[in-house]
Amino acid sequence: MAVTPALTLLILGAGVVAGAFGATLGLGGGIFLVPLLHLALGFPIAVAAAISLTTVIATSSSVSAGRTGQHLINLRLGMLLEVATAAGSLGGGITAQLLSEQTVRRLFAVVMVIIAGTLLRTLNQRDTLVDASASPGLLGGRYNDPQTDGVVTYQVKRLPLALTSSFVAGNVSSLLGIGGGVIKVPVLTAWCGVPLRAAAATSAFMIGVTATAGAVIYYGNGQLVPALAAAAVLGVQAGSRAGLRLGERASTKLLKLVMAGVMLTVAVLMIIRRNG
Amino acid sequence: MTTGPGDVRLERTVGRILRVGVAACTVCLVLGLLLSFVGPRSNAGDALITIGLWILMGTPVARVAASVAEYAAERDWRFVILTSVVLLEICGSIVAALLFHRHV
Repeated sequence: MAVTPALTLLILGAGVVAGAFGATLGLGGGIFLVPLLHLALGFPIAVAAAISLTTVIATSSSVSAGRTGQHLINLRLGMLLEVATAAGSLGGGITAQLLSEQTVRRLFAVVMVIIAGTLLRTLNQRDTLVDASASPGLLGGRYNDPQTDGVVTYQVKRLPLALTSSFVAGNVSSLLGIGGGVIKVPVLTAWCGVPLRAAAATSAFMIGVTATAGAVIYYGNGQLVPALAAAAVLGVQAGSRAGLRLGERASTKLLKLVMAGVMLTVAVLMIIRRNG
Repeated sequence: MTTGPGDVRLERTVGRILRVGVAACTVCLVLGLLLSFVGPRSNAGDALITIGLWILMGTPVARVAASVAEYAAERDWRFVILTSVVLLEICGSIVAALLFHRHV
C-alpha cells in the first residue's frame, strides 16, 4: 500500500472525526473509524481493524490516565474481567485471519444491531444504587458522582455473566477493531449492578489490554500499516479530547438514543456493501 | 472494592505508567511522522513510528506487570494469579503473531 502524505493526512482527519464522535458518546473511536476506513476509504477490513485497534489502545491509556484518582475505575473488577477479554481477544485475532471479509462485515452489522437494541430497551433504566452506606463487597465500588454530588456504592452481581460478556467483547474487539465497551458496558449496567459511569470507566481501562492482545496479532501478520496507525492514533487523541468535553454535558438518555441511531446506520451500510 | 492503601497506591502507579506511556508514544509518533514526510526520506522517521507503536502496545502490558508486583507486595495471591494469567494471555498473542508471520 502506497503511504503518501495526503493519505496520512486523510487518516489523521478520519481519526479526529471518529475520536470526537466516539468520545461524545462515551465510545472509543473504533465504532466510527472502522466503517470510515473500510466503507469510505476502501481499506480491507483487517487493515481497518488493525489501525483502529491501535487507536483503541491509545484512547484507553489516555482516558484512564486522566481518571485515576477518582476511584471511578474499578481496578479489581477490571483486572478480573481482563482475564476473559484478553482470552477472547486472542481468539478473535486468530479467527480474523480465517474469516472472509463478507462474514466479518455481517458480524459487525449484527453486533451493532444487538447493541442498539439493548441500549433502546434500557433507555429509562436507573443505573445507580442509591444507598451510600451499603457495603460494596469484594468487587463492588464506591465513588463520588459529580452530577448529583453524592456517593454511589454498588455491588457486582452475576459475575459469570460479566465474565462471559467480557470474553465476547474481547473476541469481537480484535475481530472487528473496536474497543468492545459497547458490549460490556450495557451488560454491566443492565444486569450486573455496575453504574454507568463506573462501568464505562472500568471498561475503558480494560480495553487497552484487550486491544493490545489483538493488535499484536495483526502487527505480526503485517496488516498494521505503521504510518497510518500513527496518524490515526494522533487524530483520535485530538478528536476525543474535544468530544469528551461535549459528552460531559449531555444526558445519559440522549447519549443512548444517539448511540443506537448511529449503530443502526452503520449496520445497514455494512450489510449493503459489496466486495471489491 | 476494598479501597485499602494498596489499592490507592496501585491506582496511582497505574496512572503514572499510563501518563508516561501516552506522552512517550505521542512524542515518537509526531516526530516520526514529521521526519517521514517533511524532511528527505529517511529511516529515522519509520524507526520512530515503530518505537512509538511498541510503546503504545507496551503501556497496557506494563501496567498489568506493575499490578502483579503490587498485588504480590500486598500478598493478595488471588489477584497475583489473575493478573499473571492476563500477562500470559498477551504472551499467547505474541506467540500467535510470530506463528502467523512465519506462515504468511
